[in-house]
Amino acid sequence: MKSEVLYPGAFPMVRVELAEGEHIKAESGAMVACSPTIDIESKMEGGFLGALSRKFLTGEKFFFQTLRASRGAGEVLLAPTVPGEIVVLELDGVNEYMVQKDGFLAGADGVTINSQMQSMSRGLLGGEGFFILKMSGKGMLLLNSFGAVHKIELKPGQEYIVDNSHLVAWSTTTTYNIEKATSGWVASFTSGEGFVCRFRGPGLVFIQSRNPGGFGAWVRQFIPVAE
Amino acid sequence: MTSPPNALCFGDEFPANGAPCLVHVEAHGLTMIVLSDQDAGERRSESVPFSELTVSAGGLDHDQLVATWKGATGERTLYLKNPHVIRAFRQAAPDHLTISLERAAEQVRQVRQRHRIVWSIVGGMLLIVVLGLWFGSDLLVELAVDRIPIEWEQKLGESAYHDFLARQEIMNEGLAVAAVKEMTHRLTAAIPENPYTFEITVVKSDVVNAFALPGGYIVVFTGLMKKAESPEEVSGVLAHELNHVLQRHGLERIVKQLGFTAVVSIVLGNQQGLGGVMKQLGVELMTLKFGRAQETEADLTGLQLLYRAKINPNGMITFFQRLAKKDEGRVEWLSTHPMSSSRADRLEAEIAGMPKQPPEPFTFDWTKVRASLGAHSGGSP
Repeated sequence: MKSEVLYPGAFPMVRVELAEGEHIKAESGAMVACSPTIDIESKMEGGFLGALSRKFLTGEKFFFQTLRASRGAGEVLLAPTVPGEIVVLELDGVNEYMVQKDGFLAGADGVTINSQMQSMSRGLLGGEGFFILKMSGKGMLLLNSFGAVHKIELKPGQEYIVDNSHLVAWSTTTTYNIEKATSGWVASFTSGEGFVCRFRGPGLVFIQSRNPGGFGAWVRQFIPVAE
Repeated sequence: MTSPPNALCFGDEFPANGAPCLVHVEAHGLTMIVLSDQDAGERRSESVPFSELTVSAGGLDHDQLVATWKGATGERTLYLKNPHVIRAFRQAAPDHLTISLERAAEQVRQVRQRHRIVWSIVGGMLLIVVLGLWFGSDLLVELAVDRIPIEWEQKLGESAYHDFLARQEIMNEGLAVAAVKEMTHRLTAAIPENPYTFEITVVKSDVVNAFALPGGYIVVFTGLMKKAESPEEVSGVLAHELNHVLQRHGLERIVKQLGFTAVVSIVLGNQQGLGGVMKQLGVELMTLKFGRAQETEADLTGLQLLYRAKINPNGMITFFQRLAKKDEGRVEWLSTHPMSSSRADRLEAEIAGMPKQPPEPFTFDWTKVRASLGAHSGGSP
């Protein structure tokens, strides 16, 4: 399985080359085009209950689509819904990532997707909800972001502070605490940051250069309100 | 022959997301083989005696064993997650590490326990809220309704009332109007501490119906009066409808329909935002159906009102029983007030329990009133 990000930048697309018999699972609706040798199947990853929990707990789609090169080798073009970069990660069986609910685009079949419960403070204040996706296993993982993706590399013990709405994915070897952005409660919110995550290495943290919630609020002011 | 990696190693010369490696626990310490170097042809292997290691719990959920030591090329941090490796490590570790291992294990246990406690508290609270809403919703609704001022209720009912009347033919004078006014006056005079000013309108329509809106607005259709054989029967309907208003049943239904947020906002004192929603709902008041408990309450309090006003309460039962037999399906009032036998039995039992008193007759002649409406004399058609 080989992948290549086409048109990097705001409106990228990924080309995944599949050998005969290989398959990839993608977020439902992510397929843009494919070779005639590819079969598209809808699949509830993790069984019915797993799919149900993913749908209701993380807001991810109930079905993933499986793109299978069952009638010979071929290629698949995939793209996310929102404008933003695509990141290709290679999971090696020990590296695991937590991914925010809209971040998953596609993964090789060896990649396992689980919804995992967060702690109370992270769930309440982290802005990701109580359940997020945990990616483990082996193989290629494609994530998408809103805006550009920036990778933060943390050495053991190194700290970094991230606005919670800009998170895309982070290694499970990192830890983080939710804190107020400034020392005072009022200033925390008037500064526009509210809560932030203090990450502590080692590991990687992927952040997105735009905040989907903030963008939504910005667009909303231009939508005429019916009286 | 290569085994899959079971740990991640961090250090200056490794990538930031860690180098996958294979860790073996041996009698004297750990052996670590860095697997990412395979492609380069060389496999770096490092052995560390237990004496050089410090251990702690780490990772996102504090469920990984973190071992650090000073290697030849700088500090190394190893993240172990594989339960077999962790168990082997704990078994082989010498005494000086056991304490830190136990401390790490204790930390993991504490984190898990804290999660469990917090989630059970939250779960318990949710359960209490759900149960409270399930069993205490009526109480909450009553509490909320008590806090809505009568003037509000009147404004709400008034707009719906005028909306309705604008589309109807109203009777302003005549024997029927005078009769309804007298009945209403007799009834309202018997209400102790009446906060409402009742407004009653007779609408010319063959529909057999009468209804009450919040705030004291009552509509009687001439169709209902034509069907009644005595003024006591109409008084029975009026007493029932007046009590829907007095018991604020309409408001209770609205508050229930508005739901929990509305109840909370009223109880907590924010009535401003609610006004708009209630006005919108006012239009839907016509279709408002009362619940069974509210009907029973209006029945019983209606009976008491009739008794206090010295009007024969039997009319209430006989009228609806008669209508139910003859006109089932055609009488609108019955569709919202079905006269079940249990309802009649209950009313009869209630009347039987009241001390006997001679009823006071009305001043008008009911036959003339009905004739003025064009009803055939001698009863219902």
